[in-house]
Amino acid sequence: MKSLDNRAETNMIFPRKRLFLIFLLLFLLLFILFSLDLFLGSVYLSPGEVIKALFSESESYSQLILLKFRLPKALTALLVGAGLSLSGLQMQTVFRNPLAGPDVLGITSGASLGVAFVILGFSFTMPALSISGLGNWILVAAAWAGAGLVMMLILVLATRIKDIMTILILGIMLSSGISAIVILLQYFSSESLLKSYVIWTMGSLGNLTSGQLLVLAISVAAGIVLSLFSSKMLNALLLGESYAGSIGLNVKFARIIIFLCTSILAGSVTAFCGPVGFIGIAVPHIARIMFRTSDHKVLIPGTLLIGGSVLLFSDIVAQLPGSEKVLPLNAVTSLIGIPVVIWVIMNNRKYTGIY
Amino acid sequence: MDRSPDNILTIDALKTGFRSGRASRVLLNDFSTSVAQCQLIAVIGKNGSGKSTLLRTITGLQEALSGRIILDGSDTISYSKMELARKVSYISTEPVRVANMNVYELVSLGRFPYTDWTGRIDQANHQAILSAIEKTGMKEMISVPVGELSDGERQRAMIARVMAQETRLMVMDEPTAFLDIGSKFEITQLLHDLARYGNRTIIFSTHDLHLAMNHADKIWLLKNSELVEGAPEDLMLQGEFDHIFDSLSVKYDAEQGTFTFSNKSGGSIYIEGEGVMRGWTEKALIRTGYTISYMQTEEYIIVPSAKNTQWKLISGTRTDEFNTIYELLRFLKTTA
Repeated sequence: MKSLDNRAETNMIFPRKRLFLIFLLLFLLLFILFSLDLFLGSVYLSPGEVIKALFSESESYSQLILLKFRLPKALTALLVGAGLSLSGLQMQTVFRNPLAGPDVLGITSGASLGVAFVILGFSFTMPALSISGLGNWILVAAAWAGAGLVMMLILVLATRIKDIMTILILGIMLSSGISAIVILLQYFSSESLLKSYVIWTMGSLGNLTSGQLLVLAISVAAGIVLSLFSSKMLNALLLGESYAGSIGLNVKFARIIIFLCTSILAGSVTAFCGPVGFIGIAVPHIARIMFRTSDHKVLIPGTLLIGGSVLLFSDIVAQLPGSEKVLPLNAVTSLIGIPVVIWVIMNNRKYTGIY
Repeated sequence: MDRSPDNILTIDALKTGFRSGRASRVLLNDFSTSVAQCQLIAVIGKNGSGKSTLLRTITGLQEALSGRIILDGSDTISYSKMELARKVSYISTEPVRVANMNVYELVSLGRFPYTDWTGRIDQANHQAILSAIEKTGMKEMISVPVGELSDGERQRAMIARVMAQETRLMVMDEPTAFLDIGSKFEITQLLHDLARYGNRTIIFSTHDLHLAMNHADKIWLLKNSELVEGAPEDLMLQGEFDHIFDSLSVKYDAEQGTFTFSNKSGGSIYIEGEGVMRGWTEKALIRTGYTISYMQTEEYIIVPSAKNTQWKLISGTRTDEFNTIYELLRFLKTTA
């Protein structure tokens, strides 16, 4: 019976075979990029060494590199890409705006504010170097607090304000306002602290401890579960809130669930890895072009897979394999993301919702 | 209040409008009525008279300022969102533009109140969707993206969506706006059939009085925060349509059932002749501001007949001849 039901569901929307094929290819791509991310890095390790390091007991130099650095970083890339892309997809649907991303609600800038307060605020009380002693948990906690504060503000607004476009505008204003405060903090801080803040804003995947990776993984997993729960609501919201209400959606409840989900995803990613740009806007468009559907039951898993792949690829590029240098992640994601977005806008308007 | 089982909807002392802070703007005051099943009701009124607000209030998308709306035996506020969505469906004037959504997917959203939390379309839902698509004549376009449909086709798809929602009451805000005359007629016919044979009650707003007069069982006429209701013909005879529009230049022609602009009069003119030729010549003259005289005038027109193929304008001893009505009108305009 189940297969019959599924046929009824998908045969009108999308040829099932093609859907299966695309998902298979995406899984394969993800696997390849994940492996490449392990194999490639500033220190050359032969494939044999990598496999030995992953599966043998003996402690070696290559094992240290792999298990302490490359594997956590690859996993982080996967989580960050998936999390940001998913929250971008949700925001684009909720606001019915193809240029919306995880940062439209001001959650990313809320996290920045938290970090700015910690890094730059220290310049009044403590010498610059004391930060490194505290570990980066304090940064993460501050970023989370900042994101959480903005999130609560947005949730309150979401239940009070009727028009979703008003929320969009308020979110953007909130972002700008918070950025202004950050600029003030920057202005009054010392050079060395300013530098550590600027480096944080460039984004990085490699600074997570195993404990932090676990927290990030749990957060992203929670976000994904919430998003799967919200896929029916998101499909209804495609028509706009008025229609969504008329077919039985509790619009305010849906807003809360979706904003909560986005806040958890974007907030925790930003807290651990800095404000990683462009992935959240670009990836949902790639997913729409690939799957040619508006059904979130397909788009959500698609976006997760593509998002993970894109960030793994960005990380490989940022590593500049074989060299000692590492490029700032944000520069790489933007340079990869911008051509994609431009190409999307020029060639595939009808699939992406840009009219 | 009348609550006979034949009535699907009962409205009791309804007051609609907007509330902002302590102030409120009332659009409709103290309206009570009941709606029988399988009726097609047209809501008429000028822009800003509160048609959309009334429709949104009935659908439950907007709170009433006061009063009660009893749908299917219970007050609408006692229903959950899902329950309400199984009783009343809604099409607004807002055009739906969704990338990548095809007709089937759009119509399947009508099943929202019937599916589980995953939104899974099982065989029963699938059948309901297909049947709605078939009944609206959209079968060939089942996999066409909504963005590629014409306005008329998109409206059909939207109607298929509310049909898939399987509500006995359907509320539509200007379903024939933006449509060409052909599509307008088709959509109205579809609504008419749904009410007559499909066991649905439809309340729709329109600016097309002509269309409402010809198809609706009942008209709700909104003006000055009040609602007058009745069969189109009753309202006509009561003279309710005389002052729908403030503008003095728009007049309702009681005999023809159409609106006319009463242009500055070009004077009175007599027409000699009969039949179709006379009818259209009259219409053209009225359009350009003449009134038709039933008595011989100094200047008069002879329309084409078996004897001659041209329009003749007799003015005293002078006779001008024209091959088309257009030429005749041009001549009248230049000599006037």
